[in-house]
Amino acid sequence: MRNKNWKQICLFLLPALLLYAVFFIYPLFYVFITSFTQWNGIGSMKFIGFKNFTDLFANETFRISLKNNFIWSFALGFIQIPLATIMALVLARKPKGWKVYRTVFFLPNVISQVALAMMWTAIYNADGGILNSLLAAVGLESLTRNWLGDMGTALGAVIVQQLFYIGYFMVVILASRMGIPESYYEAAEIDGANVWQQEIHISLPNILPILITSVTLAMAYGMRHFESTFLMTNGGPAHATSVLGIMLYQNLGALKYGVGNAIGATLIVLGGVLIMTIRWLLNKKSQKMMG
Amino acid sequence: MIKTKSQIAIDIIAKVGKWLFIAFFLFMTLVPIIWLIITSFKSNFEYETEPLGLPKVWQWSNYAKALSMSGLPRLFLNSVIVAVCTTALNLIVSAMGGFALARENFKAREGILSLLLAGVLIPIIAFMVPYFSIATKLKLYDSLLILIIVYAAINIPVSLFLIYGFMSDIPKELEEAAVIDGCSFSQRFTRVVFPLTKPGLVTAGTLVFIYCWNEFTYAMLLTSSVKSRTLQLGIRFFKGQFVVDYTSMLAAIVLTMIPTIFVYIFLHDKIISGMTAGAVKG
Repeated sequence: MRNKNWKQICLFLLPALLLYAVFFIYPLFYVFITSFTQWNGIGSMKFIGFKNFTDLFANETFRISLKNNFIWSFALGFIQIPLATIMALVLARKPKGWKVYRTVFFLPNVISQVALAMMWTAIYNADGGILNSLLAAVGLESLTRNWLGDMGTALGAVIVQQLFYIGYFMVVILASRMGIPESYYEAAEIDGANVWQQEIHISLPNILPILITSVTLAMAYGMRHFESTFLMTNGGPAHATSVLGIMLYQNLGALKYGVGNAIGATLIVLGGVLIMTIRWLLNKKSQKMMG
Repeated sequence: MIKTKSQIAIDIIAKVGKWLFIAFFLFMTLVPIIWLIITSFKSNFEYETEPLGLPKVWQWSNYAKALSMSGLPRLFLNSVIVAVCTTALNLIVSAMGGFALARENFKAREGILSLLLAGVLIPIIAFMVPYFSIATKLKLYDSLLILIIVYAAINIPVSLFLIYGFMSDIPKELEEAAVIDGCSFSQRFTRVVFPLTKPGLVTAGTLVFIYCWNEFTYAMLLTSSVKSRTLQLGIRFFKGQFVVDYTSMLAAIVLTMIPTIFVYIFLHDKIISGMTAGAVKG
């Protein structure tokens, strides 16, 4: 049976669907179709099959970028999230001033990536940067270096800049942890379970769904990563910090639209596969744990 | 309960460890920002020679220079225009769509809802080439309008998800009563459902506003001239504007952070719950 308000329904859905069609669906087809062509954006497209992809996988910079994206994903998913989880569990027990800590840890999420990247560039600076000055002040002069210009430290320096900003996921996990009834902990206390046992047997199983979501989201961010690397090193030195987003931007600048979109298509597919694999693996594991 | 010696030792280690853990993260979050603020008051000579410690003379002139050289007022105004217009456009579009999907039943409902929400899975960064070409084709390249449209569109899946959730929770009886009183389809939206969805709209609006305020990548890609340059993009150009005057550039960066931090101090609870609502419910 047709809804009697169907005309109005269409009218109300139209703006959202129109914007969605232009900025999600059309670009999706655009990226995938042009990824099989050689095209500079103005002239005619030449269909070249999988050549862009085979060229990319043969390309050293692309392989480095792909590897770096995975390093980002794993660093965020398996270092940042555990740190955020520990902090959430600590703050959930309401130590003195916990609300202030929560507010402070979340602060970097409202400051722009650009300002933070410029700030950290100043911190890592070879001359006048606070990191080298601190190292020199405690007698570790031998460790001072141009952190963002050194092949060995550049990637680590950019990742660390993001890694310890745990606020976002900490708040999400904390909200889930605060939803567990206090009586569970009181009962465990009476049974003689110590804090450690309470966290393992009560907190963790109850916050598991939100942990899985957080790991998935964090790893997806790792694949999408672009801004702070672009601003701090632009992929250098010698592509050591490059990621797929940086390569895509550079190909767009060089008017290699076909190659750029092949990178974009790789990003979309890899991101999707990664999200589904992680969710599947973690869900399987958690079912084992629960059951 | 009597505790053994080893239990007491574990308790003490746990307690010390807990505070060290908190202190470490406080250090990592606050010290860089405090260092940035202090350094922005130093002379360039002092910055090079004495990076640690307080400035001997606080150089307020750095801030005067930052204000006059960076063109901050213009950048600030552009960012406000983009963030306000985007938030309004996004909320209207998402609320209308959310209303039709949450308060009516029709055949394609589930399909359309899943389609719109699936957008959150797409890495928007992959759309650099198509967004650039759409902007050129619409002859909107290098305008504030294209930023407003793109930002509003990008945020539809998240906003719709939040607003749809709130609208689904409104009891049916309220609308039925309104229909008996003679409310039309659009009046049910404007007079009953929209006002009742206020908390959801505030949450989604906060999220969209902060997104717009801090967005960098597409502002860089879709604009080129000063007339449509937003604050975040402007910071990027400070390096060129303050070639030798490094500490004045740091002062300009501090100036861009002040409004955000100021608003955050007063509204942190609302902002935190708004920004994390999507992940908590998902």
